[in-house]
Amino acid sequence: MNAVTYRRVLLAALLLTASSAAGAQVRIIQTNSQGDNIHLIDPLTNQIVGEVKGVPINHGAAGAPDGSRLYFSSEAEQALHVIDGKSLQLVKKIPLSGRPNNISISRDGRKVYVGIVSSPGAVDVIDTASLERVKSIPTKGGIHNVYVTPDGKYLVAGSIAGKLMTVIDQKTEEPVWTLFQEGIRPMAFETNPDGSTKRIFVQLSDYHGFAVVDFAQRKEVARLELPNDVPPEKVDKGPFNASPSHGIGVAPDGKTLWVTSRPNARVYTYSLPDLKLMPGYVDLGGRPDWVTFTPDSQRLYIATENTDTVVAIDVAARKEITRIKVGKSPKRNITWVSRATS
Amino acid sequence: MLRLLHFVCIASLIAAVLWTPSRARAAGPEDELPEGEGKKILVASCTACHDLSEVTKFRGYYDRTQWHDIVVTMMDYGAPVDEKQVEVLADYLAEHLGKK
Repeated sequence: MNAVTYRRVLLAALLLTASSAAGAQVRIIQTNSQGDNIHLIDPLTNQIVGEVKGVPINHGAAGAPDGSRLYFSSEAEQALHVIDGKSLQLVKKIPLSGRPNNISISRDGRKVYVGIVSSPGAVDVIDTASLERVKSIPTKGGIHNVYVTPDGKYLVAGSIAGKLMTVIDQKTEEPVWTLFQEGIRPMAFETNPDGSTKRIFVQLSDYHGFAVVDFAQRKEVARLELPNDVPPEKVDKGPFNASPSHGIGVAPDGKTLWVTSRPNARVYTYSLPDLKLMPGYVDLGGRPDWVTFTPDSQRLYIATENTDTVVAIDVAARKEITRIKVGKSPKRNITWVSRATS
Repeated sequence: MLRLLHFVCIASLIAAVLWTPSRARAAGPEDELPEGEGKKILVASCTACHDLSEVTKFRGYYDRTQWHDIVVTMMDYGAPVDEKQVEVLADYLAEHLGKK
């Protein structure tokens, strides 16, 4: 662990300790893509300890950095639901410019960015003070996932239809550069010691693996295919929404990259920064969709959409801890430090 | 020999009664949808990539314009729907899964 990473981990631990003292708690927020509810899981007990209701066909989730609110996109209502972090009750529904997919929030919590998948595509910008949509950033093709880079300086929007990854300046809200000619699926970010983005690991349509993008060079520098280590008769034949590898994440300590496989129903681990496939895997028992870590990098939670289950994994041991039954077709999940006890 | 023939006939009858299409697989979302040209397009063009439940989950939420938007978005994704089929499919989805 280098000095900067050590300081980051120490800071995260101190923040968590401080927030625990203030009554805040870590929660895994699990959306259910074919339901109208969202589950809150306590990673200490792996039990469901809260539920947000009334968000039909929910897709994206984001948590306010100060723990005060949760935000969810509803595909059915084409709206962003603002939820009070304490009561888990609706504060406001904000109409969007089209059908939303995934969402993200700025580091300061002042803006929520919503990927609009309807043609021609956009990133809707929501001001969290006024709770109004203040802008729609046009994109080439509908947006499936939108991310804020770890340093908060850029948005990265992926389009399946437009076959394009678009990097947008967070301050000016203008596109800066684009890459790829393939459908863009989930992404994960690796940082430099100063916190800036070093590499983006990008899952692509119809590719069983991921591409590696050097952020400074603005180009793809490698492509890694996941192992085909499952006997043919045991391989899941799908359908996989044209996305055989969907779900990717860098552990907060920056040491490992975790990448899921739908046909193999497994998650594989790569060491960082050398991107070497580590021996072994964790069986997931279903089709994975999304991954999220606890801030201390000790636990990983993977939603498997066709089993209505979240698999809790011990990161260091690379072993399953338990499977948690959630709602219908769980997909996107996030980790949130709540302000209050829920 | 007669006893064996008798056994085979009885076993075949039991198998025929038990092995009806409804028992061959669990009822899926497609079973809930009425037949029609729209259903043929829906099944042919959508299920190669995803389960039909990814469509039927929107039951009751979208009007025709919104269903049309979904069809166009899926075509952008590569769904094999031609221009003539777009309106047929949007009509079908609005009629059977649309907002009432």
